[in-house]
Amino acid sequence: MTAARAAAVVGVVVALALLPQVAGPFWMGLATQMIVFGLLALSVDLLLGHAGLFSICHGSFFAVAAYTTAILQVRYAVPTALAAPAGLLAGTLLGLLFGLAVRTRGVYFILITIAFGYVVWGVAHRWSSFTGGDNGVTNVPFPAVGGLRVESDTDYYYLVLLVVALCALGYRVLVRSPFGLTLRGIKGSESRMRSLGYDSNRHLYAAFVLSAALASLAGVLYVYYNRFVNPVAASFPVSVEAALMAILGGTGTIAGPFIGSAIILGLRNWVSSFFELYATVMGLVFIVTVLWAPGGLVGLAARLRRRAARP
Amino acid sequence: MTTSAILQAINGTSLAALLFLVASGFTVTFGLMRVVNMAYGAYYLLGGYVGLSIARATGSFTLAIVGGGAAVVLLGYLIDRFLIRYTGENHLAQVLLTVGVAFVVGDVALKIWGGDSLKVPVPAFLRGAMELPGGLVYPTYRFVLILFSLFVAGALWLLYRKTQIGAVVRAGVDDREQVGATGINVDRLFVMVSALASFLAGMAGVVGGAFLTLYPGAEWEILIVALVVVIVGGLGSLEGAMIGALVVGLLDAYGRWLLPEFSYFVLFGPMAVLLLFRPRGIFGKEA
Repeated sequence: MTAARAAAVVGVVVALALLPQVAGPFWMGLATQMIVFGLLALSVDLLLGHAGLFSICHGSFFAVAAYTTAILQVRYAVPTALAAPAGLLAGTLLGLLFGLAVRTRGVYFILITIAFGYVVWGVAHRWSSFTGGDNGVTNVPFPAVGGLRVESDTDYYYLVLLVVALCALGYRVLVRSPFGLTLRGIKGSESRMRSLGYDSNRHLYAAFVLSAALASLAGVLYVYYNRFVNPVAASFPVSVEAALMAILGGTGTIAGPFIGSAIILGLRNWVSSFFELYATVMGLVFIVTVLWAPGGLVGLAARLRRRAARP
Repeated sequence: MTTSAILQAINGTSLAALLFLVASGFTVTFGLMRVVNMAYGAYYLLGGYVGLSIARATGSFTLAIVGGGAAVVLLGYLIDRFLIRYTGENHLAQVLLTVGVAFVVGDVALKIWGGDSLKVPVPAFLRGAMELPGGLVYPTYRFVLILFSLFVAGALWLLYRKTQIGAVVRAGVDDREQVGATGINVDRLFVMVSALASFLAGMAGVVGGAFLTLYPGAEWEILIVALVVVIVGGLGSLEGAMIGALVVGLLDAYGRWLLPEFSYFVLFGPMAVLLLFRPRGIFGKEA
């Protein structure tokens, strides 16, 4: 990491840490949401940017984790110290199952993950005796572990910031490990990696499960932020928007998914305040991103920098 | 019990009839051009809404079907020509792009036609119920829909298997470059196939809107089930779409009847198992 980059990272962290000093509760809520969905986008990008698999079912892990935590906390009064890990575990277990999709590639993988995602949405939507149907599970309390408890949105913002920062560090180590490099190799040329003796399916499966675990963590963080969860969390738009966030920000990077999440959620908040057709605007963002910024904003910035550096 | 079982079989078949209309277009356009178009659900919904407005204005169900189909042909052409063509063979880009298109179409349709469930009015002779042998009573409309789809499926199969155009399309599915090299204009061929596929989807919206009703979100529900049809049958295979539609339609009907809360499992579970053994579906070819 160059000195300039390190300085930028430190600057961003300090700015985020000082944000509650200047921002009101609405902006704190929005910032928390951006960070949580950025983590979801990052989990999608572990597959998309590093392993070359485009999954559209990460809303499932996100939602199953959120539902598990919410149901345990609200209905069974299970403490956070158990409910949050249980949510993480439930989402990851679903990842073990859905990971079977890595037997397929390309368009089949995309279509199958879409179908898988719909099963979870369908169960959340129709099994109303357990999931609460369209109303979902409400009144999720703030998390509290032992004597430590979150008592305000600002407290929770700091907790999310800390957890996500640790995740980002771990993610950085992961993608630079031999495992991460193997994934990149498979993305570049699967046949070559196979002829070198790598079991590509097993690596992709492991990546899928890890990515599901990350999405589940985002789900747990989401449910304590949102204080309720309903089938929307498992819906197709959540899954596909997470992918869009990663692409818009820049795939294969750590900052990209968070930038994409900030832009999309910021845009949605802004547009929906004065324009009724905000879903249209979101649709146009999809189209514009694909046609004009397939490398994302990070890619765009790198291209501009290269152009500027050219004599 | 047996009566219900038979009724569910007919229910499932009528859903299969509808699914086939949506899935056949999706699967053949994919086979020919390797284009994944997630907007087919939105095509279905838009065709249904346009048909609804035509049916209300003119009172003619036939005009509604033709008009709904034609509106989608126009939209589909514009989207192929000005958007999808710039994605090359990048499926990821196609999926995101067409999802974006579907969001826009769905949102604009919501603005125009509102958020309530709307039903396309059907002509008087298709309303009501008919008595089947054995004392069963069943809605006439759904029965006619099954016959209609059988007719369409038969016509498509003849077109695909027994005519020169069909032979060229099949050759294009197998090897597009080779067909192009023999002097056939594959792009023009694709415009024709795509127009037919769009028409079928728009038409499906009208005939489906008459019994499933049209509402915001219907575009995704129909698309996902059509995707399962295509995955089960094998991408690019017309016969696969027929068999797949029947399997999925029946599974859905029996699932909703026997396990209403888990009907999605009944639908998607067998698909997952099938894929473990045949990742490319029943009729899919190895790439």
